[in-house]
Amino acid sequence: MKFNIGDLPVLFPYPRIYPEQYDYMCDLKKTLDAGGHCVLEMPSGTGKTVSLLSLIVAYQQYYPEHRKLIYCSRTMSEIEKALAELKALMKYRADQLGYVEEFRGMGLTSRKNLCLHPSVKREKSGAVVDARCRSLTAGFVKEKKDRGEDVNNLDLLEPHNLIPNGVWTLDGIMKYGEEHKQCPYFTSRRMMTFCNVIIYSYHYLLDPKIAERVSKELSNDCIVVFDEAHNIDNVCIESLSTDITEESLRRATRGAQNLETKISDMKDSDADKLRAEYDSLVAGLRGAQEDRDEDAFMANPALPDDLLKEAIPGNIRRAEHFVAFLKRFIEYLKTRMKVRQVISETPPSFLAHLREYTHIEKKPLRFCAERLTSLVRTLELTNIEDYQPLQEVATFATLVATYEKGFLLILEPYETETAEVPNPVLHFTCLDAAIAMKPVFDRFSTVIITSGTISPLEMYPKMLNFETVVQESYPMTLARRSFLPMIVTRGSDQVAISSGFQVRNEPSVVRNYGNLLTEFSKLTPDGMVVFFPSYLYMESIISMWQGMGILDEVWKYKLILVETPDAQETSLALETYRTACCNGRGAILLCVARGKVSEGIDFDHQYGRTVLCIGVPFQYTESRILKARLEFLRETYRIKENDFLSFDAMRHAAQCLGRVLRGKDDYGIMVLADKRFLRKRTQLPKWINEAILDAEVDLSTDMAVGTAKKFLRTMAQPFPSLDQDGVSTWRIEDLEAHKEKMENESIRQLRAEMEGIENGGGKEVVQNGNGKEEAQHMGDDAFDDAEAEAEMMKLDH
Amino acid sequence: MSRLKSQSTALTDDPLNDICPVCKSNRYLNPTLQFLINPECYHKMCSTCVDRIFTSGPASCPVVGCGKTLRKKGFHKAFFADLKIERECDIRKRVGAVFNRREDEFESLSSWNDYLEMVEGLIFDLVEGTMKEKAKAEETLRAHRAANAKEIEDNKRAGLEAKDVELQREREEKEAVRQRRLAILREQEEDKLDVEKERREMLERLARGDGDANAITKHAQKVILKKSSARRNLAESNFADTANGSAPSNLSIRGLKKKVAPKAELAYDPFGGLDLKPARYTLQSSYENEWLDNAKNNTLHMAGGYSMNEYYSRTMFEAFSGLGIFIGDQVVEKSLPAAPATIGTVGAAEAAGGRLRQEMNTDDVF
Ligand code: SF4
Ligand SMILES: [Zn+2]
Ligand SMILES: [Zn+2]
Repeated sequence: MKFNIGDLPVLFPYPRIYPEQYDYMCDLKKTLDAGGHCVLEMPSGTGKTVSLLSLIVAYQQYYPEHRKLIYCSRTMSEIEKALAELKALMKYRADQLGYVEEFRGMGLTSRKNLCLHPSVKREKSGAVVDARCRSLTAGFVKEKKDRGEDVNNLDLLEPHNLIPNGVWTLDGIMKYGEEHKQCPYFTSRRMMTFCNVIIYSYHYLLDPKIAERVSKELSNDCIVVFDEAHNIDNVCIESLSTDITEESLRRATRGAQNLETKISDMKDSDADKLRAEYDSLVAGLRGAQEDRDEDAFMANPALPDDLLKEAIPGNIRRAEHFVAFLKRFIEYLKTRMKVRQVISETPPSFLAHLREYTHIEKKPLRFCAERLTSLVRTLELTNIEDYQPLQEVATFATLVATYEKGFLLILEPYETETAEVPNPVLHFTCLDAAIAMKPVFDRFSTVIITSGTISPLEMYPKMLNFETVVQESYPMTLARRSFLPMIVTRGSDQVAISSGFQVRNEPSVVRNYGNLLTEFSKLTPDGMVVFFPSYLYMESIISMWQGMGILDEVWKYKLILVETPDAQETSLALETYRTACCNGRGAILLCVARGKVSEGIDFDHQYGRTVLCIGVPFQYTESRILKARLEFLRETYRIKENDFLSFDAMRHAAQCLGRVLRGKDDYGIMVLADKRFLRKRTQLPKWINEAILDAEVDLSTDMAVGTAKKFLRTMAQPFPSLDQDGVSTWRIEDLEAHKEKMENESIRQLRAEMEGIENGGGKEVVQNGNGKEEAQHMGDDAFDDAEAEAEMMKLDH
Repeated sequence: MSRLKSQSTALTDDPLNDICPVCKSNRYLNPTLQFLINPECYHKMCSTCVDRIFTSGPASCPVVGCGKTLRKKGFHKAFFADLKIERECDIRKRVGAVFNRREDEFESLSSWNDYLEMVEGLIFDLVEGTMKEKAKAEETLRAHRAANAKEIEDNKRAGLEAKDVELQREREEKEAVRQRRLAILREQEEDKLDVEKERREMLERLARGDGDANAITKHAQKVILKKSSARRNLAESNFADTANGSAPSNLSIRGLKKKVAPKAELAYDPFGGLDLKPARYTLQSSYENEWLDNAKNNTLHMAGGYSMNEYYSRTMFEAFSGLGIFIGDQVVEKSLPAAPATIGTVGAAEAAGGRLRQEMNTDDVF
């Protein structure tokens, strides 16, 4: 389908479009035109990715700037989905236009997924694959070794023409690599500069250690999209936080000792190399590869820009001095780890103490990571994985010396409050999500943050410290009510249910939850998913249910499967669950609102007809890191503890709810079972909140069961997709009609405003005009009443 | 050292840490075993041995092959588990007391870096060098100390001052955090009272029964909401003010500025180098002007000490003053307030430490 938004012709690869997709694209275009950032919330299952891609591709092909698209997603499967969509879109465009455009789209993922090397690719851990590949491909190795079994022969090709135009899915590029004997990983990495669309994981932009290497060559007018971004603040924080344990320190010491022997070896055999390194450090030169492209260099969050240009401090210039320096620092950390009480301190106070005892100044500490990299390069070390812990310590040193604010050191000697055997961990934790995000916002003029559940919208700009030009949440237009969200606050015996600490283990509450589960397992066809706030709670409640005989009851209707922290077990459970849903036995999956299942796995159609959220999924509030973060948020961004906690809980709840509804032809029941949800209802995404009728907010179990039964009965009625036309899906005619209507509307508005100016309060009357009247106004357009009403619903909000 | 006081008495995994090399008593038998070292030779022994051997006066080290004469006074607990590092740090302390130049004393960064490297090399010789290197390094150290005694003193003082300033800043930050927290508590208290009051009023109105019950409840809710949001806005603006006001003047020295080497001191100048000579005109000894002639030639005028030159210079000054001055340039840029993130971080530290916090009842907050 082809239509225009403003002057921009958009090719949309489907014959029908959802109204919210159209609105979404309009807002995207507005953002791109204005050149700013935006936050958009689009209901899940309404084709967010395809709308995004088709608009942006149209945009980049139509305007002469050809702005690049960097599309970041969270998981591999999402990246692959996006690539497939992009491929279909480009094919459609070629068919429609009659020629194939100059276009290259590519995904990038870790070496582990893209490696072709016969032995390297068999390694299990990603870090090992990286390290082994590096030891095969490092510059000095290449110089020395003739290419043997390594399949990497990239240097034989032009760097801008490693791979022909087109969209390359991960599989596609693997195949191409195999055929042409060239490494898929390096192909996509080097071709990034020559791509129109790049699809990769968040980390390639947010993690300073990776971003510097991977993303620095991207130009500043790129359009950056963070999809599924409801968790982006946590990704930011994780990318800048490190944990140090006694074990990692021990291994770091070993690494330092290795370095020492390597240095003395080299002094005997090849002293010139060391001297050359030393000379270049004296001259303040960075390694050649680093300053290859000065302007496009991304401000590395680990080091401020002005510092990057400075020379390495004199007291760590010599290799042996530097190693002694590292050893001293590690010894210091070891000593600190011996303390048997919880300590939390800010970086400045840590540095002051450090200086007092080890005479380590802040500045050389800052250069630690960089100096180590240079040394490793000079020493031509190949077994880099051995130096991983040392690298971690060095990164920690750099971060702690660079950031005074927004970071905190927390030393926890014991794993739990009651533990006897100490297992100290030094958390260096980032409190401020904006720090990792800042370089991205500074560098790229347009950053789009979008997800199915990203409410309340204003929280994100506040937390990540940026300004938006557009901030929108779209309702879901439906031809019939295809999902039923309910809030259940009490059991059939009218006792309030809640997962609050005071009542969570009371038998009456547990029994009521159990009854709720039994009732819904009776009435739900096929699959049902249940979310608990935490593993701990899930375990305790399951064992109580077992004692009450509830599970036996449920067992009659459904198979019961449980998510565990173990990924393999969980995937097995999922598989069984799927089979049971397909063959009619039906199953219940018990899982945790913050676990893997709640984030990445879809339960569409028969896989999930009911989702039951037992309790509000609050975070574990006794965690010191969380406490610190709350305090910081309150002081710095004026976000109250309770606001944040409840926001965080609700975004997870919304994620869980969104799992069952993955498209407009899908249907499902969403049950929020906790009395506290009543108050938090407004924090749900707009599309869910709007679908909760006032009569369905304060239900008891039996009332909820009644409503659900009625709902399922309507869902059982045949529903020809034709009925959706013009309401929840638009053909091109509907779209044209809508556009015309919008135009008329805006003219009317203008006119009304003029009148309003003429005769005072007239304006308000027009705007609040009642729906029926307007529907009649529209009567002579090609609209049926239902659509007009749907439209009115939107206007009302 | 105070934070390390509570060092564990638990067994460490390194057996060497658990047995006294002198008397061979171990931690299994004596859980309070504590090791001491003497910076003369860094041989470690348990506190009982130290008491036993050195209480009656200086004695030689009991470790085989050492024999250095030690005094009880010199013994202390080692900070590092690795005694080599302990020794290195002691040496650093000694050298650092002599080579204590600061970066701003150097003309350029590279010379500062060279200096740092030189010192580092010296320390390295002292720590790991051969006998000869050590002796040479010691000699350099002594010579430098003798030659630069005064500067060393100055720098030491400067260092102490900087430390004081730092401490002061830390204290101020802590205090700011405390104040902020108190303010927030008060605010919450007020909030609660207000809501309470509003609710009571609503109930009263309902009881009186004037008007539609629904409307009253709705209205009351709206009022409460509006009030709290208004208060929040107010608080936010207040917050911005206090952030400006209470922020300590920006003392965090980035330490990157390069300064010129100190100039020879000039004679005292009360105007601080301000030049009063007119730049835009030259004052002449006399100006031709007929209406001045009268005054010039009239002795009656001059008799009282009236000076034409004074008059000239004043008039000229007035005529030219203000030229070449643009207001835009003169407005001093308002310095930005220190980001309150500092305070947030300090506060966060306390929150995480669990001190100073009221019980956080977060699960059932509403
Ligand atoms: S260059 Fe490519 S194929 Fe070779 S080891 Fe590295 S990732 Fe694997
Ligand atoms: Zn002893
Ligand atoms: Zn001795």
